[in-house]
Amino acid sequence: MKKVLILLSLVLLMGCMKDDDILSPIDNVVEVPESLTIDDLQGIKVESTIVTDEVKMNIKLPYTGTYRVKIRDISKELISQEKLEANEGDNILKVYVSSLENDGYTLELTNDNHEVIGITSIVVNN
Amino acid sequence: MKKILTLLVSVFCTLSVFGQTDSKLDYSRVNTVTQVGDTLIVKLQYFEGKDANDVATAPTLYQFDFQYNNKLLNKISATWQPSSTSAQKAINSWNGYKFAIHDTKEQTDFDGQYISWLAGDASYSSNADWSVERVTFQDTDELETGQEFVKYEFIIKDKFNTNYSDYSDILNANWANYKLSDGTQLGVTGQSTLANLGSIEGGDAGDVTITLESNVITNNIGDGTDYSYYIYAKGDNQVVLADGTFDASGQATITGLENDIEYDIYVTIDDSKEYLDNAVTVSDLALVFAEAIGAGSSPNGISTTFDYYLQSVLANVVGDPISSGGDINFDDSYEILAYLQGVTSPTTSYITKTGGVYNISGIKETFGDVVNDIATWSPTFKPTDSNKSFNVVHVLNGDVNFSHGFEPTSNNADIPTSAQSVSTNRVAMAVGAKYQDEQANLDLTSELKDGQVIFTIGSDVEEMIGAQFNIVYDRTRLVLDDVVFDTGNTMTNFSNHIEGDGKINIGSFDQNFEATVKTGTPYKLIFTPTVELQNTSGLITFKVNEGVKADGTSIKFIME
Repeated sequence: MKKVLILLSLVLLMGCMKDDDILSPIDNVVEVPESLTIDDLQGIKVESTIVTDEVKMNIKLPYTGTYRVKIRDISKELISQEKLEANEGDNILKVYVSSLENDGYTLELTNDNHEVIGITSIVVNN
Repeated sequence: MKKILTLLVSVFCTLSVFGQTDSKLDYSRVNTVTQVGDTLIVKLQYFEGKDANDVATAPTLYQFDFQYNNKLLNKISATWQPSSTSAQKAINSWNGYKFAIHDTKEQTDFDGQYISWLAGDASYSSNADWSVERVTFQDTDELETGQEFVKYEFIIKDKFNTNYSDYSDILNANWANYKLSDGTQLGVTGQSTLANLGSIEGGDAGDVTITLESNVITNNIGDGTDYSYYIYAKGDNQVVLADGTFDASGQATITGLENDIEYDIYVTIDDSKEYLDNAVTVSDLALVFAEAIGAGSSPNGISTTFDYYLQSVLANVVGDPISSGGDINFDDSYEILAYLQGVTSPTTSYITKTGGVYNISGIKETFGDVVNDIATWSPTFKPTDSNKSFNVVHVLNGDVNFSHGFEPTSNNADIPTSAQSVSTNRVAMAVGAKYQDEQANLDLTSELKDGQVIFTIGSDVEEMIGAQFNIVYDRTRLVLDDVVFDTGNTMTNFSNHIEGDGKINIGSFDQNFEATVKTGTPYKLIFTPTVELQNTSGLITFKVNEGVKADGTSIKFIME
């Protein structure tokens, strides 16, 4: 009888909880500033096109997995590449530009097979 | 009978007219002029005519006008030549006028033009380019035929910034008024203009355009503003006549030079440019090792692996002075290897790097031409009226594959195939095919793993006997902890860490051209972050990604 009462109590307690508390994993709650909001289902966006030292970027992904952020120079030559594990949805990260020469670059988001998901551009002004 | 008389009178008059000859006003140059600034001397002479009875006419008044182009001639003096003390003489001058002839008469009908001028049918009108001289000489006795009136001296002016392209239209007579003592007007003729002075050298060359060529500009490694030029008189290297920098495209417009004068131009590159650290790489090392191994003697001797004589100069990084070229041996190749390894050499070397540049420049057309078995380059150019554009090229010592310089285009710069070594595969390569872009299965990535930033170079490229990667990292956020090589047991690995600049050059090379770089992950750099990081984008960049294949071909890797 005692076991039945405990079980009933647990069911009652769970009934008082919000649905979100049960369904959403805490990891995926990302606060996205308006400047980094991406309306599409996937893509890449930076907080500011002109960058000094560092800039926030949002990479919005279709699913959790391994992705690449590539930096290409004016001739589209690859000059920097990060490989990272990222979650489905918005991921607020940074681009560090201290070691880049003042110039224009493109930021390219691809999956691990180099298929392009999104492109944007930055101008480094250190 | 009246008709017969009239006819006879007409025939007589006709015969009489046919017997007359006009006097002459002659003008000619006394000396030969060849340069702007030379003094031109012009003499004006009287030649007698004949009357109807074939008797020499004897004028006592000699008056004429002539005009000269004041944009091309600067009058400095006029000197009377007759010695008569009884003569009355006058010279009048007007600037800014030109004579408009009476076009129903010949221009050389000088007495006719005089009469027309008096009648208003010929006139003077304003013209800033011309000046008029009026010479009047009157005496009791006539002049002897051939007598000079006046000698004029003019300085030849530069035609630069004038409307004239040559010296063909500089002086001509307008009219002449010779009279006998009884007032009879005499016929006067002469030539239409002073003879063309021909080719006059010198003078302001105006805008002279120099175009610089180098792979630094062509391949957007830098631009023309990274280069400066210095111009000297030929053979001098002390007094700079003109200097400046090129524009971004590599052009410079130089003023203040003179036509037909030879000058020497020297071009230097700004030695603070960081890309100069990428000028000498494993690709150059491979060329120099191949030469040291394969040639066995200088490029000037029995055989060579080089394509151009100039490479024997660029590869000669220790020993003889740069300009002497000389034998390429293991001293040179190991010096470059030591440089790539970051080993400070006790010997003086001529390897170009940031802060240490060895410039060679010259006129493109003859750049690298072989003379007496040595590559040469000429700094000399000469602006002329017909040529005011010159191409100058630039290379850097140690940059044997011309990655940051100009690859010679003169046929006389090529080493003939017959002189190339048969001991290496390079002999099979076409001239100029030292560099090839190749899509390569290389994967250079940075990752954040267990609190460290790991930079890995993954490679599936086979048959690479050398490779080099010049890497720049964010030294404000990263500290280099370790470099891990997994290239194979027999490869010579190198890493040159320039901590203060946040740079590290890593690579491998087999100087026997036999062992190859292992595929997989031959290179790994491990960094510790000095700040909290969420990811690594932009922290590590790579500018030079080169490989050398076993056949000696240098490859610039193009990555996905």
